[in-house]
Amino acid sequence: MAKSFVWWIVDVIVGGVFIYAGVIKVLDPIQFGIDIDNYKILPWFISVRLAFYLPWLEIFCGVALIFRFLYRGGLSILAALTSVFIIATIAAKVRGLDITCGCFGHASKNWSFSTHLVLDLAILVALVALSFRVASGNRPQTAV
Amino acid sequence: MRWQLRRRTRPVQRNNKIFVSGQWLRQAAILVLLAFAPAIGEAIYFRDKISWQSPIPPSELVTVDQARAWGENAIWVDARPDEEFARDHVPGAVSLNEDRWNDLLQQFLPNWSPDKKVVVYCSAESCNAAREVAKRLRDEAQLKDGEGKNCVFVLQGGWEEWLKKNR
Repeated sequence: MAKSFVWWIVDVIVGGVFIYAGVIKVLDPIQFGIDIDNYKILPWFISVRLAFYLPWLEIFCGVALIFRFLYRGGLSILAALTSVFIIATIAAKVRGLDITCGCFGHASKNWSFSTHLVLDLAILVALVALSFRVASGNRPQTAV
Repeated sequence: MRWQLRRRTRPVQRNNKIFVSGQWLRQAAILVLLAFAPAIGEAIYFRDKISWQSPIPPSELVTVDQARAWGENAIWVDARPDEEFARDHVPGAVSLNEDRWNDLLQQFLPNWSPDKKVVVYCSAESCNAAREVAKRLRDEAQLKDGEGKNCVFVLQGGWEEWLKKNR
């Protein structure tokens, strides 16, 4: 029971982080489009469309984690998004790009590369741990 | 009997595996589709406020030829780092980069007046510094012309393009 509560707290924290990050980006999609464009991986017409789509996906997945509705789907999408983001951040660093990730709007503007990486890795570890817990049968009750 | 048991249990186990992995994918697909609805709504709301083909709206870009035609009415702003500015820059340009924003902005502002257009450039078409500096000049320094219209422009092609046209 206590263990289950602890896992739910992890769900709420991870889900809350993605909801917060998503809402900030929903409020300023143009800036987020520029942030994606700064990675110089995708052409602008794709970056700008992703800037409208990805924040809502983050919010929906965050809500899925907290309310344990479409829980497995939320976990898999967020783990994939975080992995892609970590790879893109490292690639940008290797290519010498001075990027602002824009993950948390202006709050993260002055974060260093290592701060970003540590936070993203911590989130990824939490998502992987939650996924293993579900896959091993200690699954929370989900509606779908 | 043993054979019969195997025949009964194996397909069930296989089906369970398919069901479990299918559940992850199905739920992910539902979330992926759900997120489209508000995203499309927001994109429709922003359709006139964003440039879909270029990160900088065409109205905020200027070519080398157009900027040169402005002559004395233009202030050239070099958004590249100090060492690149020190190596070479557009004649008469002032340095204004984000590394020393506050200091350089204080030096820049006395040179500007509402009747002057500001042309910001960085190293090339793909650099971000000019876009960022132009944005901060509009948002933070509130630079506008006498009629309240935009007077800060990003040089198309940046320093590379200027070099091509001038050397």
